[in-house]
Amino acid sequence: MSGGYTGKIARVNLTTKTVSTIETAKYEEFGGGHGMGSAIFFDLVGDQLPFEAFDPRNLVIMMASPFSGTFMPGSGRCEVQGLGPGLYPVEWFGHSNFGGRFTSQLKFAGWDGIVVEGASDKPVWINIADDKIKIEDANGIWGMDTYDAQQEISRRVMPQMRYGEWAELANSCFTTQIPAVVCCGPAGENLSRIAALLHGPGSQAALCGFGAVFGSKKLKAISAIGTGGVPIADPKAFMDARLWFRQFQWDVDNPREPEKFAGRGYSLINGAPSGGNVSNGSLPLVPARAAACASCPRGCRMRLASADSNESVCAGSMFARIGGGGFGAPGGGGASAMPAILSGKLTRQGNDLMHRYGLGHWQLMATQGYIQFLERAGVFGKGKEIDPDLPPSGTFAYYEALMRKLSLREGKFGQLAGEAAARMADKLGRYKEDVNSGNVRLTYWGTQEHYSSQVEVEWGFGSLLGERDLMLHQMANYPLHWMAASGAPYLTAEEASKLYAEAMIPYNDDRYLVDYGEGPTGVYSDSKVKQVAWVKHYEKFWVGAGGFCGWRWPQCITNNTADRRGATPQAEPRFWNAVTGKKGTFADYMELGHKIYTLDRAIWVLQGRHRNMEVFPDYVYDKPAGGGSELPMVVDGAWKYDGGRGRKLDRDKVEDFKTRFYKFEGYNSENGFPTRATLEKMNLKKVADLLQSKSKLG
Amino acid sequence: MPGGKKAESEEVAAKKKFSRRDFIVTGGAIAAVDALIATTPAKAAIPSPAKGTALPESKGYLIYDGKKCAGCTTCMLSCSLTHYGVQSLSLSRIQIIQDSFGKFPTDIKMAPCRQCKTPPCVENCPVGAAYVDTKNGNIRRIDSKKCIGCRTCLAMCPQQPHRTVWNHVEGKSSKCDLCVDTPHWNEKGGPGGKQACVESCPMKAIKFVAQMPDQTETDGYDVNLRNDYWLNLGLVESSTIIPPAMAAQAKAKKPAPKPKE
Repeated sequence: MSGGYTGKIARVNLTTKTVSTIETAKYEEFGGGHGMGSAIFFDLVGDQLPFEAFDPRNLVIMMASPFSGTFMPGSGRCEVQGLGPGLYPVEWFGHSNFGGRFTSQLKFAGWDGIVVEGASDKPVWINIADDKIKIEDANGIWGMDTYDAQQEISRRVMPQMRYGEWAELANSCFTTQIPAVVCCGPAGENLSRIAALLHGPGSQAALCGFGAVFGSKKLKAISAIGTGGVPIADPKAFMDARLWFRQFQWDVDNPREPEKFAGRGYSLINGAPSGGNVSNGSLPLVPARAAACASCPRGCRMRLASADSNESVCAGSMFARIGGGGFGAPGGGGASAMPAILSGKLTRQGNDLMHRYGLGHWQLMATQGYIQFLERAGVFGKGKEIDPDLPPSGTFAYYEALMRKLSLREGKFGQLAGEAAARMADKLGRYKEDVNSGNVRLTYWGTQEHYSSQVEVEWGFGSLLGERDLMLHQMANYPLHWMAASGAPYLTAEEASKLYAEAMIPYNDDRYLVDYGEGPTGVYSDSKVKQVAWVKHYEKFWVGAGGFCGWRWPQCITNNTADRRGATPQAEPRFWNAVTGKKGTFADYMELGHKIYTLDRAIWVLQGRHRNMEVFPDYVYDKPAGGGSELPMVVDGAWKYDGGRGRKLDRDKVEDFKTRFYKFEGYNSENGFPTRATLEKMNLKKVADLLQSKSKLG
Repeated sequence: MPGGKKAESEEVAAKKKFSRRDFIVTGGAIAAVDALIATTPAKAAIPSPAKGTALPESKGYLIYDGKKCAGCTTCMLSCSLTHYGVQSLSLSRIQIIQDSFGKFPTDIKMAPCRQCKTPPCVENCPVGAAYVDTKNGNIRRIDSKKCIGCRTCLAMCPQQPHRTVWNHVEGKSSKCDLCVDTPHWNEKGGPGGKQACVESCPMKAIKFVAQMPDQTETDGYDVNLRNDYWLNLGLVESSTIIPPAMAAQAKAKKPAPKPKE
């Protein structure tokens, strides 16, 4: 087995309470992470599809990558896969991932991943300490919030541990590290489809509802701690690559053009430390450090002297906005006249409460917004069948009551709203009306619209042709949208689009990959087909199989180099080859991404996916786009940044785009199913055979 | 390394007489070390200097900023990679210990070797495996070929965690050598060279210095390596501190004073 792998994947059956091993080598052709997870899912249960997410046959697959446990910048996220109860109308084979240091410890313990199957008859947790794996009784832990549960499990794993000292794990193997625990909270235990998995205080696998899959298996947590190492095929090349990569980082002591990029307007996108936490940006500042996931040179998080909002970023640090807190401008007036220092504090604690309950911030945000819409519409309220009976919004009491009711499924309201927005709308008989009108923007598979589907189309198409919100800011959103939206872009639209196109191998001969206009090279064009394909392939291999952070990769442009060129596409294969010893090119690995995407698509087809389902809600075609997006576009023959305000997508053109996309990817354009020729070319003959046996071959 | 060929052969003899098991340190107690010192010919088994003997000071030290570290552990992984060719936190000679749920600044503890003025690891090594490398800037090092794995140096290091590190793969002790011996790196290490942790730290929270840090304070190695660019990220160590950029912003927003009549 080549470098980067430990050589084995744990397979834990909670029904039989047995542990076995899968040889990693069997799946090496899929790279790691998402690729291996998809292949394992197909092999173990593909022929049994379709079945439901809470069926004990469902798997929770948590995979590391060859980069996990190494210092590959911005890698090491844990890819979680399985049928996602939070997705709609079908609980698609979905994925979510989280940062922190779980996969590092998993690798140091000697495992490339863990596959959990079956369901326990009583609450349990899984204890991984080096090569020993035990299924432990969760008595006294089941029912705990995620913070208490993680800390209690750490104590149970290493009772001999004294913080700040060495502890012997076993057989003269020592560590100073605290076990890495991932767990569900009360929301997951009570099968709320909003439930996330939590690792540390702020790392969430927030999408798909995997916390509820843990709950359905009566699995509270998985803990990993290891004292081993990750073999590196070419250590010298890997070290050289890591030091070469410094040119793409924010120089903390001497940043490039600080007058332009050091301001808060750029804080999310400039690559500087700590910018991800938006709840501690106003005076007086709470003392804090920048905090990083394992291996990340940016450190977008914070840990505070008050220990609230530790390691939380973006929506995880500002969903609950109490007294006007969040976004670096807490309170200081408004209706509550709450002092800024207090609103900031309560805002951070409110978001911590969300993490403690184990609620996924992104779907909680959509569900809360829909609840408030239904209250305004008179569907919910006093005297109605469903009365949320919540304190005034914007208060801590409001968020506490909302989160408790959704997590514990209290009353009719908790039972209904804990199903998350899409199924809540469905059960109320309002799904079509409210989603098509845009009253609730559940634009793709029950997950809410993140950026304008009419303008920032690679995000919309990429989500629609996937299984949930794409959630990959660094593809085009941060570098292009937010750079332009800052009001002081460091590249013109023409310059930015040129650098992007040059980086996007193998389609780099196309100058118009990031043209977001409505002209012949714009959002319906063959150039856009290629961009969306590139996004899906990058998502599946580098982000999925490589464990990359969607806030860090790809990096087609950056404010941190003189020529504004980013690390993509040089960095990815340079690091991958140094770790694994392989000799692939960027294009080779992108084709592997194509293969993994095709395998995912085959699994969705086995669940019932058809191109007829891959349609946007009506509002995308009928209602004009608002503001917000600033992207490069060719307008009247010239590149410019524009918001595309007022744009509606054209149904026929979108359908034509899809037809060309399916053909481009090697799928049948009538139904979107992968063809035998495509699958066999990818060495996926067994997938073609199964699809054919189910009359689903394209 | 003190001692020549003759001394080494005598040490081999001593090793034969006292196996590693005889020196295993458990529960903070050192079994059999005293016995060794009492019974082994001085020249053979105690090449280390007598306690209290002044040793030449190291010509290099790692200082660090515990408030600047982000806990990415890149330094640890660089250390194990360049020395052993693998990435492992347990083999790293610099340790970063952190509690995600903890409060800044005690949520992180940085623990590199201090290259002590009077190094207990060197003074107490029963076989001279821990030594002062006079050829390489007087760095305090451990010769893994000579180490018998008795773990005396782990027990005698007064720091928490102890900066001598147990290499469970080899069954030997190890410690920071300021990258003198990094077979898996293309750069030259040691004083005058580069250190993997310093070079790779993205927060520039570790620095090599030639001058011995303050030995009278327990945190003499933990210094402030932050400048105004760091403060302008909004990362302060006291709520009373106003980052210069925010102060300038507030000043700009302040309404102009009314002209005097």
